[in-house]
Amino acid sequence: MKNIFLIIISFSLLNLNTMAQDAEAKLKEKGIVLAAPSAPVANYVNVVRVGNLLFLSGKGPNKPDGSYVTGKVGKDLTIEEGYEAAKLAAISHLAVLKAELGSLNKVKRIVKVLGMVNCTEDFKDQPKVINGYSDFMVEIFGEKGKHARSAVGMNSLPMNIAVEVEVIVEIED
Amino acid sequence: MVNNEETKLKEKKIELSIPAPMLGSYVHAVRTGNLLYLSGKGPSKPAGGLMTGKIGKDLTVEEGMEAARLCAISHLAVLKAELGSLEKVKRIVKVLGMVNCTDDFIEQSKVMNGYSDFMTEIFGEKGKHARSAVGMNSLPQNFAVEVEVIVEVE
Repeated sequence: MKNIFLIIISFSLLNLNTMAQDAEAKLKEKGIVLAAPSAPVANYVNVVRVGNLLFLSGKGPNKPDGSYVTGKVGKDLTIEEGYEAAKLAAISHLAVLKAELGSLNKVKRIVKVLGMVNCTEDFKDQPKVINGYSDFMVEIFGEKGKHARSAVGMNSLPMNIAVEVEVIVEIED
Repeated sequence: MVNNEETKLKEKKIELSIPAPMLGSYVHAVRTGNLLYLSGKGPSKPAGGLMTGKIGKDLTVEEGMEAARLCAISHLAVLKAELGSLEKVKRIVKVLGMVNCTDDFIEQSKVMNGYSDFMTEIFGEKGKHARSAVGMNSLPQNFAVEVEVIVEVE
C-alpha cells in the first residue's frame, strides 16, 4: 500500500517536473510575448557568459510600451505595485535569456538573484516586493527556477525605476 | 591588434599603487576556478585619501564619474597584485556599482560610466561587462562610490 502511494507521488512529481521544464510553453500559456531585450542604458552589455554561467545586468521594470514603472515603494507605490514591477524585471531578464540562448529551455538553473527595491527609509517589505520576480521565475522554470536571493532597499535607482534586479543563470552545455 | 593593458596605462600616465588596505576582516580578492571575486573598492585618490560625499548634494555627476574611475584604478591595482600582469585578464564579467547619493538622484548609470568607460579603454572588448548601477543612502567612510567586480582570468 505504502509503495503504491510512493509510486503515485513520484509520478505526480515527475509530471509536475516535466510540465514545468518547458519554459517556452509556460510562457505561451501565460500569453507573454518576449520583446527584443532593452538596450543597456549606458556603456555595458546585457549579459556575459563564463563557462556555463550567464551574468545578467541589472534590469528595471520595462512596461510593454517601452516605458518603466517608476517611483519609490512605500511612498509612490504600494507593495503590490512593487511586486508587479519586480515581475516586469523578470520578464526583461527572460527577453535577455531568449536572445542569448535561442530557447529558454536551455536554462538549467536560476542561480542567484539580487533584488534592489527603490523605497523609503522605513520600508521593510523588500522580500514581498522581490517575490514578484521569484514567483514568476518559479512559475516559468519550475524547480529550475528556484534560486538563492537577496532583497534589499535602495534610496534611489537610475531613472527612478521602482526595482532593479540582477541575476546569475546556469545553462545547459 | 593586441590591446596591451600595461601600455595603455602608461599612455594615460596612471601608476598602480599597492592596493589600499582593507577596512575589516576580508580580503581584496578570492579566486574560484577562473573567476576572481574582487571586494568593493572606494575612490582612492592618487595623492592619498578618498573622494567622499553624496552625489546630488556634495558632488556633481562629473565628480561622481571621476570617483567611479578611481574605483576602477583601485581594482586594476588589485588585479595587478593578484595576477602579476593585467594581460591575464580574460574578461571583466560583472560589475555592481553603488553610488552614495541623495534620495532624488537618478543618474547612477552616468556616474558608473566613469568605471565602465575606463575598463573598456584599458581592456577593449574584454572590458565590456554586465552591470548594475544603484543608489545607496550611505557608504563606508562616506565614499562617493563603491564598486565590486567579478573578473574572468586566463
